Amino acid sequence: MSDDKLLDDLSTLKESFISTIDKLTKDLKRSQKIMDRSDRQQRKEYDELQVQFEEVEKLQKEIEETQREVVFTMGSIAESRSKETGNHVRRVAEYTYLFAKYIGLPAKECEMLKQASPMHDIGKVAIPDAVLNKPGRFNEEERKIMDTHAQLGYDMLQSSTRPLLKMAATVAYEHHEKWNGKGYPNQLAGEEIHIYGRITALADVFDALGSARVYKPAWDDERIFKMFKEERGEHFDPQLIDIFFDNLDEFLVIRDTMKDIA
Amino acid sequence: MENLKIEATKYTPEIDFDVVNGALNITGKSYPENTFEYYKPIVEWIKEYMTVIDNDRKITVNLDLEYLNSSSLKAYFDLFDILEASHNNGKNILINWIFDEENDIAEETGEDFIEDFTSLNIKLVVKD
Repeated sequence: MSDDKLLDDLSTLKESFISTIDKLTKDLKRSQKIMDRSDRQQRKEYDELQVQFEEVEKLQKEIEETQREVVFTMGSIAESRSKETGNHVRRVAEYTYLFAKYIGLPAKECEMLKQASPMHDIGKVAIPDAVLNKPGRFNEEERKIMDTHAQLGYDMLQSSTRPLLKMAATVAYEHHEKWNGKGYPNQLAGEEIHIYGRITALADVFDALGSARVYKPAWDDERIFKMFKEERGEHFDPQLIDIFFDNLDEFLVIRDTMKDIA
Repeated sequence: MENLKIEATKYTPEIDFDVVNGALNITGKSYPENTFEYYKPIVEWIKEYMTVIDNDRKITVNLDLEYLNSSSLKAYFDLFDILEASHNNGKNILINWIFDEENDIAEETGEDFIEDFTSLNIKLVVKD
């Protein structure tokens, strides 16, 4: 091979080498550019996403808060119409939470029951004032009218699709049923009564007995405990009565810290 | 040669290439699952178009792309390579890079193209 031919080949090789390097350099620079642009885009997108998440979380909290407030206010309305104190529903809420926790309901359900149980007497808003606020004992007819509040409460709430209001419907419907089947409105017995109903029944009675009403003074603890022991497996779910006595201190703390202001 | 028309999907832009009036419009978002597969027939069409069209015919490429993922961005760089080569072969090409005033990323992307393809006639067009 002559030197000229070799030089020619080398020159061609050099050009091809340079053009390959140029192309590689260009491609690399372009890749870098694309990556930079993508990184910036991703950062922006992620920033926006986080803002949106925060916004959604805020709205979620807002909805829950509003729901809590509405539900609680509904409960309070029922109580105020029947001359009971606003703290009654607050205490019932706390008691039901404790029962739910100790009977082993999931945390979320306990929290829901705490919110739903204050509505147990919502049906009372549909009871005529003359009956509802009558001083002294009800006659048989008045008692019958009063007892419709369970059904009325259920009717008000059952059409809702919201889980919390559905739960409240169950509570309103079944909180006057008794373990022995002698309650109302449907004379359900034992575990036929939903656990929400059984819990609220006990929480409501415990608080009502311990509070003074226009028609009766507050019962002392000895009398309440005696009655609970007698009604274990009669009016009340025996397991819940056991939970009550096993964790008495906690129930009494709630009662003491949420006392009615005289 | 036939016009090319592809409907937009959630992940891909609308393609509307008109042979007779020389308008090549791409409108929408681009983040397909397989970007290469998606753009292959589009690039093929453009390559063929550039071989059949007369040099004095004016070609307008309207790119209105509000969102590009990185592989799509790469596909557009490759597309601009083809357009640049065609331009160097004497084609009369105008590229309108169309973007929303609030879309900074789209605007900056258009500026990138202008910077990289100095010989091409690229216009940044803000949408009304």
